[in-house]
Amino acid sequence: MKKLGLFLLPLLLFLLVSVFLLQGLFSDPTARQSSLLNRPVPEFSLADVMDDSVRYGPEVFAGEVTLLNVWGTWCVTCAYELPFLTGLREQGVRIVGLYYEQDLDPDFGAKSVSQIRQDIHKTLGQWGNPYAFNIFDQQRSLSLDLGVSGAPETFLIDAEGKIRLHHIGDVNERVWQEKFLPVYEQVSDNVAALKESGE
Amino acid sequence: MRWYAGLLLILSLSPSLQAVQEVYEFDKPAQREVFQRLSENLRCPKCQNQNIADSNALVSQDMKRKVYELIKKGYSEQQVIDYMKQRYGDFVYYQPPLNPLTLMLWMGPVLFMGLVLVVLIRRRKTQEKGFDKAMLAKAEKWLEDDK
Repeated sequence: MKKLGLFLLPLLLFLLVSVFLLQGLFSDPTARQSSLLNRPVPEFSLADVMDDSVRYGPEVFAGEVTLLNVWGTWCVTCAYELPFLTGLREQGVRIVGLYYEQDLDPDFGAKSVSQIRQDIHKTLGQWGNPYAFNIFDQQRSLSLDLGVSGAPETFLIDAEGKIRLHHIGDVNERVWQEKFLPVYEQVSDNVAALKESGE
Repeated sequence: MRWYAGLLLILSLSPSLQAVQEVYEFDKPAQREVFQRLSENLRCPKCQNQNIADSNALVSQDMKRKVYELIKKGYSEQQVIDYMKQRYGDFVYYQPPLNPLTLMLWMGPVLFMGLVLVVLIRRRKTQEKGFDKAMLAKAEKWLEDDK
């Protein structure tokens, strides 16, 4: 009996460690829960990237389910996901861009606003334009408040302006089907139900 | 020797040595200490394992700047940590809080030490049992004989 235990115990330990490490192989180290989940979008007042006189606040998310996509023309993966996002827009998904510029930072060398606008025109002309409009987060203050770590990142915001999903990395067919669609359908039902009860 | 001097020259001209380091100035040395400690204990959300002091990622620079602003505004160390946690989650601070998710992390070492203690005590007991009276008597006898 004792000998059996001496044999089984290391085997059991080995199996436990193996399962634990095997899990690690398939886990995504960048995936983590946003601490802003189910909370409203933080306060902000920022200009449109194309027009300084147009300003946006959190109210732009009221009444409509929106994808908020953090991007920049300097970001290669962002350009890569533009065609897919444009496809979503054609299906009726509202997408708002949160644009930030790496090159505007003095640490990375300066780039003028008109140069940025030109680059945006070029990029969107080439890969498709999924955006209803783009919020210009020049100081990256809203990005910091949203817990953005880089680009691309995408938030799903419900009709009440609450954050329901925070995805780090590009949105593609697989991510959309597995991660976004279930939540999107759920909050869209909400909107439909709200409209019905309002009538 | 000449090639060595040339190499040194090239190295000294490389841009990494001339990289602009942002300078944060404080009125009080205590504030500077807090800043130092915070930038060493806040974790860069973009990198896999670097604090914001070591990281050159854009987000780390933004966070450092924010930490500086907040300290200047009179935030305490804990208030700055909470500010960052609110945005980037518990991940952002190197000291994990005690919650159901991290329970194993905190209790693991204690459990392990407890286990070792139990094993040690049990072994001690079986060893003590091994010295029975007959053996002791035999040993005594040998000692007597040696005299």
